This record gives sequence, structure tokens and C-alpha cells, in this order.
Amino acid sequence: MPTIAFSLRDLQHLTGRKITVEELHELAHCGKGDFEGYDEETDEAKIDFGDTNLPYLWSAEGFARLLRGILGLQKGIPEIKVNKGDYQVIVDKSVMNYRPYIACFAAKGKKMDDYLIKQMVQLQEKFCESYGRRRQKVSIGLYSYRRLKFPVHYKAVDPLSIEFVPLEFKAKMNLKEILAEHPKGKDYAWVLEGFEKYPVLIDDKNEVMSFVPIINSNFTGKLEIGDEDLFFEATGIDEEAVNLAASIFAYALHDRGFQIYSVEAKYPDKKITMPNLKSESIQIKSEQIKNLFGLELKESEIKHLLEKAQYDFSDWKVKIPAYRNDILHPYDVIEDIGIAYGFDKIKELPLTTFTHGSTFKLNEFIDKIREIVVGLGYQEVLSAILTNKEILYRKMNIEDFGTIEIDDYMSETYSVVRSWLLPNLMEVFSKNKHVEFPQKIFEQGLVNSRKGDEIFESHRIAIASSHEDVNYTDMRQALDYIMRCFGLSYDIEEAEHNSFIEGRVGRAIVKGKKFAYLGEINPQVLSNWGLEMPVAALELNLTELFEVMEQR
Amino acid sequence: MDTKKLAESLNPVERKVLRVLDNFSSFHDIMKVTGLKDVEVSRALQWLQNKNVVKLKEQQKELVVLDDNGRRYLKEGLPERKFLEAIDKKTTIPEIAKKTGLSNEEMAISIGALKSKAAIEIEKGKELAATITDDGKHLMKHGFPEEQFLKESFPKELLSLNEEERFVLDNLRKRKRIIKVEMSKIISAELTETGKKLLKEKIEDDLIEKLSPSLIKTSAWKGKKFRRFDVKINVPSIFGGRKQHYRRFLDEVRQKFIALGFKEMTGPIVETDFWDMDVLFMPQFHSARDIHQAYYIKEPKYGKLDEALVKKVKEAHENGIDTGSRGWRYDFDAKRTHRHMLRTQGTASSARMLASKGLEIPGKYFAISRCFRYDVVDATHFPEFNQTEGIIIEEGLNFRHLKSVLKMFAEEFAETDQIKITPGYFPFTEPSAELHAKHPELGWIELGGSGIFRPEVVKPLLGREVPVLAWGIGIDRIAMFKLGIKDIRQLFSHDLGFLRNAKVV
Repeated sequence: MPTIAFSLRDLQHLTGRKITVEELHELAHCGKGDFEGYDEETDEAKIDFGDTNLPYLWSAEGFARLLRGILGLQKGIPEIKVNKGDYQVIVDKSVMNYRPYIACFAAKGKKMDDYLIKQMVQLQEKFCESYGRRRQKVSIGLYSYRRLKFPVHYKAVDPLSIEFVPLEFKAKMNLKEILAEHPKGKDYAWVLEGFEKYPVLIDDKNEVMSFVPIINSNFTGKLEIGDEDLFFEATGIDEEAVNLAASIFAYALHDRGFQIYSVEAKYPDKKITMPNLKSESIQIKSEQIKNLFGLELKESEIKHLLEKAQYDFSDWKVKIPAYRNDILHPYDVIEDIGIAYGFDKIKELPLTTFTHGSTFKLNEFIDKIREIVVGLGYQEVLSAILTNKEILYRKMNIEDFGTIEIDDYMSETYSVVRSWLLPNLMEVFSKNKHVEFPQKIFEQGLVNSRKGDEIFESHRIAIASSHEDVNYTDMRQALDYIMRCFGLSYDIEEAEHNSFIEGRVGRAIVKGKKFAYLGEINPQVLSNWGLEMPVAALELNLTELFEVMEQR
Repeated sequence: MDTKKLAESLNPVERKVLRVLDNFSSFHDIMKVTGLKDVEVSRALQWLQNKNVVKLKEQQKELVVLDDNGRRYLKEGLPERKFLEAIDKKTTIPEIAKKTGLSNEEMAISIGALKSKAAIEIEKGKELAATITDDGKHLMKHGFPEEQFLKESFPKELLSLNEEERFVLDNLRKRKRIIKVEMSKIISAELTETGKKLLKEKIEDDLIEKLSPSLIKTSAWKGKKFRRFDVKINVPSIFGGRKQHYRRFLDEVRQKFIALGFKEMTGPIVETDFWDMDVLFMPQFHSARDIHQAYYIKEPKYGKLDEALVKKVKEAHENGIDTGSRGWRYDFDAKRTHRHMLRTQGTASSARMLASKGLEIPGKYFAISRCFRYDVVDATHFPEFNQTEGIIIEEGLNFRHLKSVLKMFAEEFAETDQIKITPGYFPFTEPSAELHAKHPELGWIELGGSGIFRPEVVKPLLGREVPVLAWGIGIDRIAMFKLGIKDIRQLFSHDLGFLRNAKVV
């Protein structure tokens, strides 16, 4: 979720009212944001905005616009005037297979200063990273059109056919070299993976403006302090998202006092005038407000609240500003009515229907088993479910018997889902070699394994005891006691299991189900764990045991 | 404690030791007079000191002790005595050696020692031969000073020896492994004022030490006193079996939910994209769904799903499935939705509950679920955590009911009725709200998130729209506070010392 930094004084200026830090705390919530802090020295405030579908808030201009509505300084959709501009972008059919959409506009009448450039860059970066899915869906460029010769051409070219000096570099490079050597090229090369041709924006003098969506030109492709004639472009693979970017920037620059001018996009088959600031509308019903918030509001109240939230409202039709693309359902609008009304003013209503509480039956059984094992004097431990094969198999002296592995793990330590529990207990022993003995521990939890395409999840409990005189009998007694507690009779057969000492390991069977292993741990395993004290252990499948119990 | 009670509190060993303390003070002497073992005396003195009856002193002293030859000679007699006894008027040296069985070395030493005491005379002939002098006869009869010395009680303080004894000692020390002198700790006990008073008390021996079955059966305890115990004494720690601290806390949270009328639900930890995110109306292109936000499974890559349900969810994403929603307007990837992953949110269980045949309306459900996030490991991050989530489903419920539910949770889990409910964002709820609570000690904390499930979530699962209040509580923060833990990794601690001593909350 994007955290946005801005000057509080600037926010006040844009809003047209003094706002204290305390107020900012509360007002941030209206934008589904959390106030993160304010630095008096630099006047910088930070807000973390939660709604990933409301990118217009990711700049001081957008947030101030919201506040003007909430604070009653402005009603309904803010007006914006688009002047007819004399600018053209020629969209070549070569981009259609790669990155088919572009939205542009021009803006003039104000001078860029350092702070404003930073705000624009912040909005651009947050938008492209999050909403623009790391520039794949949308990427954005801002230029001074004084340095451009129109019409501008948007086309896809052979990667080796063009050279230019990318931002922050001194030498000319072709597109392949940029992907290989420029830091931004390396970061975003994945977006162009599998493309034969790469999209570029070139002006009419054949000067490269931008290698889309990687890097702009060091000559035309950056804003400088004092620039006052701006050209905006957004390209991408999602038309709505590209248009949204243009709308958000047009509104932001308009709020800063720029005049917005249209740009014509000439496609092979059509002409479009941009930016497209047309609003969508959605129909709402008064019952919907009652259904969602339990509020009975008059139409005039609804109109007032909607205008506060910067919608236009007439005849139950809600017009949505062009800088928003998050309204899918009438409830999305109704939520804004609730926010404008104030969540804190909505009165609570207690639940009145009686419902019967209960535990999940298997969990109830698990709790009983845990209680019994605690009664036997064992200390419960809790481990991570994620672990690694070294612990599960190599140290336990056995082969992998089907493991759920994580595809792209962050750390080898947590690279697979555990397939049995006993290794966790061995790990505990290995970390407590100098703690008083006897050490009697158990863990209850989930394990997963796989056979072919099937995944098996089960609840297990592992019990282990470590001291000088521990032996098979201790585990057999524990198992016996547990089974007696539930009145279950069972059989034991000799088993082979390399984690245990040969001839001192048994498998327990109930109603034909092999549900437990028990025995003395193989000294080879002990030495793999660096242990010098004998260990006897028992691992039970509780899911299977519970099934047996249920069948009785 | 008065001295009478004190007298009654002495155990048999203490009593035995105390009785000799007015005459003896050194550890060694006490052992000898009482006939007790080393450890017994040591413990008894320690106990008596704890009761302020004696004061123990430790000194470093040089002690004379018998070495192995010394102990042997004490039993068998000195070689020079054997030598003398083997002489019959005039006996040759080889003959003496044969008779006594002395080694060459012992023979040499014996001859040297006896000659220096003028106890024998050696004649040189074909073979050397020895005869006893009068002095020799005297020694035979009255004993050697060395023999006398060996019969002393050891260990013996070096400083306590007189000049004569020192002379003998020096002689013996020249010989092999008879005597050694070592530095040693000498413990001695001195009676305190209390101790002296105590000695004047009548110290009864007829106290019952242990109540045995036979004492009870025969009523032999009647009319007798039990030895008084020091009930204030420190005892060694023991460790009982117990539940893990964090799991116990979660058990209690479960019990609270059950008491509030919630039914427990579950779900698998290896989930599909479908249940973890798609049914929750999170668009497949959403930034929260990048590969590095979740753990995807290598094999099997894809899971099985109810394809009719997949079709409905696909429609919800693409066009809103007749809910009045326009949907996300993109092409839903029906293959990707089958992708296996580790559950990232407990809401997956809520979605499964809504789709299950056993769903009751009205109904309240909760789950505490282990969830996984692609995360680094440090004091505040762990790739695994427990989420406490749930739903309340009933016709006619709205945000006002949700507010009262959130207030109830704040009271139950953060012990406060001071709450703030602010707008929030979750892809699957509309409206969405954050719950902030003013915890009595932590101050304002973000306690949870909540909302009402979107129609696009409910309709595909239930076939119709019913209000579903959904909430999640950040229980780990409360757990860490209650358990007095600062590092999240301690929730999963493997430190037995910590586990055995963790606070029970």
C-alpha cells in the first residue's frame, strides 16, 4: 500500500484551508489512509493509503481535492476545462501486438519547481509500480513539449535499429544495450520478454523521447525546474488504466493551475481526442443505503453526501469523476455515502439471533489428546510449518517420501512444508543440549505430503523423551495410555524405519490403519543432530485416529 | 524460631552432628566421631548453618596424608622391620631377600635405614651378611618411630607436628610414595549463640521423621512428635508438563469465540489461488498477487476445483454475475485459478464455509488459521502467523450490526470499550472498516479489519445475496503483549528454558 509524502503547507494551500496535524490524522481515514507521521522541520507529512484502486490520492493534489469535498469547500465533481490543442500523436500499427494503448495531453501556464517535480515523480512512480503492475499495465512519461517536434510517433522498432542517450547516461545505446546495462533496463526488461520489437516514442525530428516503458531520453525525456509547457503520455496494455492515468494527471496539473490542452491520437483506423475525461454513471437505490448501513436518508441528504464525496447526483443516477475507476457496484458509491456521513455517527445495533457455538470436532479430539500428553508430563512446543529437506530427511536418516516444496522460496531454511513432526522435536533437543534432563516434549500440528498429484494433509502429534534411561517401553506405555483413555484397542507390528534403531521400532495399527510409529531413535540420527543423550519417540496420525473413533 | 521449635526441626543427621559440636569442630573430626559419611556431614553442617546454628569456616591448610605405600606398610609393616625379623644370628642378604620378598629397592632402603640407626652390622665375606645389634633388638621390641608415625590419624595438619614428628616425616618423604603433603580446604564448624543455646535444649531423638503406612496402621504416631520442617526453605525447581504458551493463549481465544456463539471452521494450508483470492474477488491482475507476495507450490502445480463454481467466479470477475456490478472487466484465467499455493489469509476458510453444504443461516463462524506470507525473518516478521477470522451471516444484517460486533471484540480481546471504526479497504468487502481500540496499556492499536462481503463474493458461492459480516483480528499483537514477548519469533521458541518458565496467560 503506497505511502505518500507531501508538504503540509502545500496541502493547506491546495485545500484552501488550514489543517492541523490532528485533523490530518482523522482526514486521512476519509481516504482510507493511515497517518504515518509529520516532520516539523521539513513540514513533510506521510500517509499510507490503503485502497490500491484509488491512485488519484497518491499525490497532494488528489488528496487535497478529496479534502475540499469532505470539508465542504467544494461540491460534486470538480470542473476541469480541456482546451483544444494543436498536438498530434501518430500511433503506428506496429505497437498493436505489444502495447496498444496511449493517452496524452498537454499542459501549460505554470512553472515547474523542485517540489512540484518531486510530487509528479512520486505520483508517477507509485502509479506505475502498484496500479500499473510494475509498468507492465501502464507506464507514464512527462516532457517539456518545447523540446519536442510534433507530431510525435508511437511505434515498435527493431531493438538494434535505434540509438539514444538514456537518462543519467552519457553515451548513446541501442535498445538491447539499454536492457542489458542501464539499471532501469535491468529492472524492467521482464515487461518486454518475448517481444521482437520494442515500443518507442519518437518526435518528428526523429529524436527518441522514450523507450517505453523502460527509460526516457536524457535530452527530451525529463522535466526541469522552470519548464512550463508539459506533454504527458501514458502507454500500456489496458485502455481503461491508461486513460485513468491521463485523467489523474490532468486533474492534478489542473489543480496546480495549469491549462490542459487536448492531443489527437491518430490510429491507423481512427482518430481520438485525449484526454478522455468522460464520466461513467451508476444507478443507486435508497434501499441499498438502508441494506448496507441501516440508514434511512432523504434524497436531499443523499445528494448532499454524494456531492461531499465529489460525485454528481440527479434522479438516483450517480456520476463518477474521471479520475476514479474503482466503482464496480452501487455499493462502492454507497460506501462513500457512509464515509461522508461519518462511520462514527452510525449507531450500533446488537445482534439478537441466538447461535450455537461449537468447536470443530476433530479439533476437540486433538485438544483431548494434548491434555492427556500434558498429563504425562510433556512440555508442548510449537514450530514453524515451513522447514527444509535437510531437517526432514537427511538428518533423520531417511529418504524423501513426497514433499510439498515452495517454488520460489525466499530462504532455504523455510523452503518446504513439513511432512512429519518428529524432526521438529529433534531440532528442539539439539538446541537444548545443556538444559536439564529429562527433556520430555511434544508438538501437535499439521503435516502435508504428496503422492503424485494428490496432496495429503493430516493432523499429527509427536512425542519425544530424552534422558539417560529412556527406552522403547516409555513410548509404548505412552501410546498404550492414550489409546486406553479412548477405549481403543490396537496392534503393534515390527517396522522398518531408519530414523529408529533396527529391532526397536514398532508400527501401531487400529482397524487396519497404520496410524503411528514409535521406538528408540537411531544413534546415527542423534549424532546427525549433535545429540549425546538417547531419545525415544512416538508420532501419531490424529486425523486417521479420529476417523476410527467416528466410525465406532 | 525459638530454640525449642528449632530442636524439633533437626533431622537425625543434624542431631548426630550437633551433639559432637561442643567438643569437635573440624569436618574430619566430626566425621570420625559420628561415623557419618562425608556427604552426610557436609549436608548436615550446611543445614545447620542455614538454621543459624553453626558458622562454617573454610581454611586452606597443608595436610599430611598417607600415600599408597604408606597405607600398605601400615598394614604389612615397614620393609626394615621385615628385614630385621628375617635375620637369624647371621643371615646373608640374598637369603633375607628371599625370606621377606622385598624388592631390590626396598632391600637397599632397609639396609640404609637400619645402618643409620645402627640396628645391623654388615659383614663382608663370600656374600654379604647381616647381624642384629642391641639397638636393633631394642627397635624390634619397642617399634620404629616411623611405624609410630604411620599409625597416627590422617589427614594431619602439617603445622600440628612437633619437631620429632617433623624429623620422621622428612625421612619418610624421602622414600617412595609413603607420605604426601597436600594443600586442602579444611572446613570447621563453630557454634553460634543460637547453637550454644540449642545444645542446652533437650534434643529428642524420638521424633517421627517420615509418616509411613505402618505408623498409620498401628497408630504408633500417637503421642509422638513429628520432626518440624522448615517450611520456608528453598527447594529445587521442577518442570511439569504444560501447553505451549502461545498455543494456550490461542486455545482461550477459541473458547471465547465459542462462548460468543461462533462455530469453528477450518481449511487446508495448501490452497489454490481460487479459494485464497479469486473467490474473494481479488482480480488476478491485482498487485497483491505478484509471485513474491505468496508461496506457490512446485508440485502438484494445480489443484482440483468444482468447475461449476469456477465458472461462476469467472463471471463475477468478468461481468459481476448479475449482482449489479460491472465486474473487473478482464479475461479471467481459469487455469491460473487452480494454482496451488500456501494460504495467505484465513478468509479462504470463510469462503469455503460459505460454499459448504453445512452452512447455517443465520450463523456465526470463526477460525484461527496458520497463514503464510513471503517475508523476511526478524523480530517483527515471520513467514508464518495465525489469523483469527470469521463471518456472521444473517438476513437483514448491516454495518450497524458490524459495529456492535467490533465493539464486542474490543471488549473481549483488548479489554476496552473505547474504539474507533474508520474506513478501510479490502478487495472482498464493501463497506470496509478498520477497528482501532484503546488498549489500557498499549494505547490505540489497530485491532482488526472488517466489512460486509461484496455481492460479487457472496452470489457465486451461495447463489443469492445474503449479508455476510466479515472480520479479522490481529491477535498476535495482543498475544505478544500478554505473554510479555517483544520478538515475534518467541511465539515459536525452541528454547526449553524459556518454554518451561513462560508466563501462563
